[in-house]
Parts: sequence; C-alpha cells; structure tokens
Amino acid sequence: MPPADAPLLLEVKGLKVGYPVQRRMVTPIDGLDLTIREREVVGLLGDAGSGKSTAALAMLGLVRPPGRILAGEVRFLGQDLLKLSPEGLRALRGKDLALIVQNPRGALHPMLPVGRQISNAYRAHGAASSKEGWQRAIDLLRNVGINDPERRVHSYAHELSGGMAQRALISMALSSTPRLLIADEPTSGLDVTIQAQFLDEMAATVRGTGSAILLVTQDLGIIANYCDRVVVLHEGRIVESAATREFFIKPQHAYSRQVLSLVRAPATPAKFAADIAPLIEVRDLVKHFSIKGRDKKVQAVDGVSFAIRPGESLGLVGESGSGKTTVGRCLLRLVEPTSGDIRYRGQSIASIKPAELRRFRSKLQIVFQDPYDALNPRYTMEDVIREPLDLHTDLDAIGKRRRIGELLDLVGLDPKRMGEKPRGLGAGALQRLNIARALATGPEFIVLDEPTSVLSPLARVGFIELLARLKKDLGLAYLFISHDLTTVQHVCDRVAVMYLGQIVEVGTTEQVFKRPAHPYAQALLGAHLTADPMHRRVDRPPVNALAGEIPSPIDLPPGCYLASRCRHVTEACRVTPQTLAMHAEGRPVRCMRVLAGEVPIGGSP
Amino acid sequence: MLLRTILRRLAVGVVQLLGLTVAVFFLIRLMPADPVSRFVGINPSKAAYAQAAKAIGVDRPISTQLLHYLGLAPSQGKGLLQGNLGTSWVSNAPVLKDIATALPVTLELITMAFIIALIIAVPIGMLAALRPGGKTDKAVFVYGLFAGSQPEFWWALLFVFVFYFKLGIAPPPLGLINPMNSPPPPRTGFYTIDSLLAGDLTTFFDLLHHLMLPVATLVFILSGPIIKMVRQNMEQALTADFVLYARAAGMPGSTVARYALRAAMAPSMTLIGILYGFMLGGAVLVESVFSLPGIGQYAVRSILAFDYPAIQGVVLVITAISLVVYLLLDLLHAIIDPRLAQE
Ligand code: SF4
Repeated sequence: MPPADAPLLLEVKGLKVGYPVQRRMVTPIDGLDLTIREREVVGLLGDAGSGKSTAALAMLGLVRPPGRILAGEVRFLGQDLLKLSPEGLRALRGKDLALIVQNPRGALHPMLPVGRQISNAYRAHGAASSKEGWQRAIDLLRNVGINDPERRVHSYAHELSGGMAQRALISMALSSTPRLLIADEPTSGLDVTIQAQFLDEMAATVRGTGSAILLVTQDLGIIANYCDRVVVLHEGRIVESAATREFFIKPQHAYSRQVLSLVRAPATPAKFAADIAPLIEVRDLVKHFSIKGRDKKVQAVDGVSFAIRPGESLGLVGESGSGKTTVGRCLLRLVEPTSGDIRYRGQSIASIKPAELRRFRSKLQIVFQDPYDALNPRYTMEDVIREPLDLHTDLDAIGKRRRIGELLDLVGLDPKRMGEKPRGLGAGALQRLNIARALATGPEFIVLDEPTSVLSPLARVGFIELLARLKKDLGLAYLFISHDLTTVQHVCDRVAVMYLGQIVEVGTTEQVFKRPAHPYAQALLGAHLTADPMHRRVDRPPVNALAGEIPSPIDLPPGCYLASRCRHVTEACRVTPQTLAMHAEGRPVRCMRVLAGEVPIGGSP
Repeated sequence: MLLRTILRRLAVGVVQLLGLTVAVFFLIRLMPADPVSRFVGINPSKAAYAQAAKAIGVDRPISTQLLHYLGLAPSQGKGLLQGNLGTSWVSNAPVLKDIATALPVTLELITMAFIIALIIAVPIGMLAALRPGGKTDKAVFVYGLFAGSQPEFWWALLFVFVFYFKLGIAPPPLGLINPMNSPPPPRTGFYTIDSLLAGDLTTFFDLLHHLMLPVATLVFILSGPIIKMVRQNMEQALTADFVLYARAAGMPGSTVARYALRAAMAPSMTLIGILYGFMLGGAVLVESVFSLPGIGQYAVRSILAFDYPAIQGVVLVITAISLVVYLLLDLLHAIIDPRLAQE
C-alpha cells in the first residue's frame, strides 16, 4: 500500500456523463469525484446499473456512442483530459493510461489477427515498423505465458479462450508500463482458478512497474484480496471511500452494508441424522455425448454417485467442463443418461411411466442460469406462474389467482404487479419469478443451475437469503450447481467437487472449504477469493495452483485425471485409475495418495 | 476445404439453374399468348398456321419440347446440355450469340457504375457515421430525399436534358458509340476492352463519353442504398467493443476508422451482391433512355415478342451470373471475416 501522502495521479471532479434517451438526457454518471494516488490499488465497487463501466471509460475521456461527457474534470498527472486536444489525449491513452475490459474477446477485432492488433497498439505510440510491431507482439505474448506465440499471433479472437484473450489484452495494456491501469471487471466469466492466476499476475506485474490500478468489480472477494482502498459507486456517484479493512469492518453506506451482510453473518449449515432415507439417490451416473462425424465420445459425466436427503442442499462445484450441469439435467431427465440409476424416494426415475412423469415433474423442478431465456417475453408474471398451475393442479380460477399472489409474495415480489410483463424487471427479480414458478407445483427438490451467475451483488445477496428462507420454511432440498463458491458456501450443507465428469471429493461445506483434501479441491478452493481482508491473497503467495490446462474430455488420461496437472503426481498415479474411497476424516476422496496420508490436506485459510 | 465449398456451391448452382429452367419453361407456356400468331398475322389459313407452328417447333408435345430444350432428345438436335440455347424466333440467330452481344453492354455499364458508386458512396457513408449530424451527414439526408423520390428513368431524362441538351457536354443518348465510328473488332464482346486491345484510343474515349450519362444515372441511383447501408453498418461497428478498445489503446483515428470499416463491410457484401444481380435486369429503363442494346432491352423485346427460347436464355444467363457473383462475394466475405471461413 502506498503512503497516504503519495502524490495524486488521478483526480476526477464532478464528472457527468449523459446518454440521449428519447430526446432526454439520462445521466448514469452524475457528479463523480474520485482520486487515485501513485501505486495505489483502488477497487471500484458497484451494483449492476451503477455506471461502473461508464465511469471506467470516462476516466480515459471515452464514452460509448451516442453518449457524451457533459461536465466535470478528469485530471491525470495534472492535466485535464477533457480539455486536451484529440491528439494529446490519444498519446496518453494506451501509454500512460491503459484499459482492460470485461469481455476480452469482444475487445479484439474479430477479423484481424491478434498479432496485428497488438502491433497496431504498439505502433500507435512510437515510430516502429510493422515488422518490429509484429516481433513485439510475439514477445509480449510469450511474456504472459502463452505457448507457441509465433503461431498464436496469427490467431483470431474467436480462436482464443477467454483467459488467453484476457492475457493478450493485459500484455498489450502493460507493455507501455502505464502509470494507471483501469481494469473493468477483467475476470468476469473466467473460471476461479484462471481468475486467481490472472489477478495474481496482474498484481505482481503492477508491483514491479509501480503502476496504480483502478479495479472495477462486483466481487467482494477481489476487493478484499487485492485492493488497498474501496470506493463505492451508487447511482452515478461515489457514496463511500474507505481503506479496504475499514470497509469490511465498518461499512458506512446502506448499499455497502447490504452487500456485506452475508460476509458478516455466515450461514449455519443444517445437521442431519445419518439414517434419514435419501430423497434423491444417484448411482454411477454416466453420460456420453457422441461427436458428429467422429466415432469418439465426450465423457461428460463419468460414474457420479451421491445422495440428497429431504431438506438438504448439496453444492456441485467445479470449473467449466466438469460436467456439473449435465448431472443436473440428467436428474430431471432433460437429457437421457447413458447409464446409471437415479432414484426419487426409492423409485427409479428411468422406470417412471409417461403417465406418472407429470406428477414426478411436479415434485422435481429446475431453475436455469439465465432468467431472461427461461421466460416467454409475452407473458405477464401471472401467466408465467399460471402455466404450471394449469398443468399440475386442479384449482379453479379464483384459487389459482390466490395461489399466484401467495407465490409472488413468498419470493418477495409484489403480488399487485402480477399483471405486468416481467421484461422491465432486473435479473434478480426475474430469477425470483423463476423460483415462484418452480414452487407453484409444490416441489420437494429443486435443481438450481448456476442461478446467481447473472445477478448483481445486491440481487445475489437477496437471492441467497430467499433460498435459505425457502429451505427452512418449506423444507426444500436443492442441488446447487455453481462455480460461484461464495454463494455455495452460504447455501449448501454439503459440497461435491467435480473434475472432468467425476466427483473427486464430497464433504460438509465446512470440511471442503476449510480443509479440502483432494489436490484438485485444494487448488479450486485455494483460488477462491474469500471476502476477508485480513488474509489477503496478495500477501501470501499461493501454493496449491495447478499447472497447465484441463485435458480434453475426449481423450482422457488412463490413470488419475489430474495427473498431468497435480503437484503430488507419482508414476503410479499416471497408470492407476482412481476411485472414490472413504478418507480417514470421514468423507470420500478420489486420490490414493491423499487416502494413504501422503499428501497434506487443507491449505486454504 | 475451400475448394470443396466452392465445388459444392457450383454443383448446387447447377441444380438450381436446371430447376429454374424447367420452371420457366412451363411458366412462359402458361402466358395467355400464342407465339405462332405473331408470325402469321391475323386470320391465317389453317395450313399457314400449322406450318408456322412446325417451324418454331411448338406443334410437338410439350414433353418433347422440354427434352429437346434440355438436350435430352438427341434425335431432335442439340440442347442446353450441349451448350445450345436454341434459336431466337425473332432474330433467327442463336440465342447464345444474341446474348453474347447484349450482355457485355449491360455488364460494362453496371460494373462501371458499381465501382464508381462504391468509390463515392463508401467514404461518404463512413464520414456520415463518423460525424453524425455533421455536414456530410446532412448532405446525405438531403440527397436521400431527392434520389429516392423519383424513378431512375426520370433522372436519366433529366441528365440528358441538362448535360446534352442544355450544356452540350454529353453526346446524344443514341447508343454506345458515335454512328460515324465503327465498333472495335470483337474479341471479348466488351467494347471498352476490345477497343483497348485494338489499341484504338479514339473509340475507347468515345465509348467512355457515351457511357458517361448512363453510368452517372446508375451511380446516382445506386449510391443511395449503398451509403445508407455503409452508414448503418458503420454506426453499429463504431459502438462495438473492439472499436472502443482501439480508441482506449490510443490508436490513431485512421486506424480506428479502418477497424470499424472492416467490420462494417463484411455484412455489406451480401447486399451489394443482391443489388448487382438485380441491376442486371433492372438497368433496362436506363438502357432504354440511352438506347443501349443491353440484356435488359433484349429481355423486354423477347417477352413482348413471346420469343420463348430468348426468354429462357436470358433468365438462365442472368441467374447464372447472379449465382457466380454471390459466390464470389461470399468468398470475399470469408476472406474478410475468418469466423466464416472456419465453418
Ligand atoms: S492420484 Fe496422484 S495425480 Fe491424482 S490427485 Fe492424487 S496425487 Fe494427484
């Protein structure tokens, strides 16, 4: 952290950005004041619609068309950017003031090779030949750890993974050793391990070069682990500015207090007697997808077994490609499993006759990731909930209306607004509506498939609270599929960790989060950014990181699936297929070395 | 990979052409017209009528006529498959030869018009999008009001009135070359190319002089939709993340504009192709005003005369050219946009 009297680098005063909407000006940024000192890492926290991204761009004097900067000053190194000539501004951008954005692949031109773009950016700030620029692109890509940069410079944006594209952008942004790096949600959409790796690299590079960072984010974990100071943006203004630790201990503004409420009041998991009959039981679930035109198969799910008791919530975590989503779909027979047994209250789902399928469906529901996709845009809220009522109940019209009102009330939506179309609602309210629809049939079990991934922090807090309340009041059981570990920690009683279609570890939430045993679980949880500013990740070098990339689910390794990336790998691991067996601490783990006590467990704070 | 796509497209094109040929074959025979009566006048004798019908071959059963046309009945003579489009009933010349004379005139005309229109309209559309509300943008708006409000022959006549009659800059609207001049020795059929090949610059400049007004009319008409399309696609490209990012990286204005244009041109390709295909037949009004013996004129003449083989030939050739143009533009599109090439 820089000393409090370090010289000012950026000073924003009374910034106002307007967009013409139907002949009126709306002002998403309305009187923003902000300062950043040299070498300081400032987190800009704000909800969806708070104007974070608009603010980040405006710091470079940029506005997305057709918007305009209406008033204010953006003083950078003493000069007001908004009064600078276009050429003067251009010379600063990309040199002293660099930007990385949310959607790295979108920030790259889809029709030009990345090398050409990096070279163009380089040549924008100094006379270099096209050949020198090209060479520079290769060097930069090599510096950020991209394999085979000579080949990669010829790739197009769509041929890069999100993580790789983001690394290419950061190589570009940092190549000029900018005084200030503005990073607008640079890791949204990346898997946790890649996110942590990326943020670590960014923090390390910036420390080396002495740049300052404005890190725009919605993620408290990122703030807690990487930022010196937090500023909170709300309705276009900064409503709070505090050192990170103070912010977590004593948030001032109502918005800050709300988003922090979960961090400050951790959930208490329910306890279950061991002998309760399971509600859902899955045994050796396997799902293959065949690839068109080839005789190979994708092993999406590879022998998964677990049980969920009534009123229990099981978290299924893992990164993209782990098969967790497919498991959820198999459970409701939205996709047909290749093999394996799924039982609901002891009855095999595969044996359910079409006539009974409807009753079965009414007891098992699913809520999807994208609340917009799942709703028919022409339906009113009332129509949305009436649909399942028509199908699964024989209530009369008045009864249905009353039930719709009750359900809306239950999920915290105003029943008086049932005649409105949900289009204007935010993602949080839409997701509540989806829950209300799922509840209409009186289910016992809901599969929640990444339900929080599009929610803003505030909506997420409310949504998590809703899930906890419904679980307690209605005795619902959940299968909670998510890569959002913070939410999982708050909602789930037990957690299963998946890697490449297999469960590698199952335990209570506390066990898995506090003492992950399997090397993959250790890496995953180690990359989880806990919103705890007392144990900052930047202060302790991470140890459990995995090497390399996830193998293709088409050509799986013969032995342990993690062998190519595991720090504890031995020759035996590479040839011995691993099985899930009971660990001494009383939970199943799929690693012979952990089971034999040869690998230290834990490692996450 | 690329070659396979091209071959597949060509194969599909051939099937399309065959289907279209058969469809047109029946459609023209559904026209409420009797081609024979055009040859024998009013109230012919039965024998004269029968003889005329025999001469043009419509006395045979329809299936025989079709097979003959397609070239599947060797006893009847050569047909489509042997590269024979039949003989025009009006000019008595092979249809292929008629088309070979008329088509280059139109191709010359509209290709020139397209090239000039693109050279003028693309930068204008770009500028209008780069500076909304600026001078160019306003001028485009006014032009749009004018150009779109009148049909092209009206503009053609107006141009003739102003530039030939009033100002005397342009030649009279009476064809491609000065009647005093003789056409260049035919090699490709394209007068401009042939005159250059013959080294006859006088004729070449005379041709350009005669093409000046018709090309100008088409440019005037074509620029409207092209400007509008480029402007729209540009506007969209300018709000794209990669353009914003290029700005944030401090790239010069010219580079930013190039980034946006590249993204804007890709979707414009398709429309340009469609416009070109449409103009092949759609230039007929301009051809008429300037008495250019192009394919449009030939098509109209054939339809009015119920000249079945000629109609068939024109439809076939125009469609074939359109298909080739689409294919070329799609290939160009794939070169510009690597995401398409991958598929
Ligand atoms: S079996 Fe070996 S390679 Fe696999 S996780 Fe355990 S230690 Fe690592």
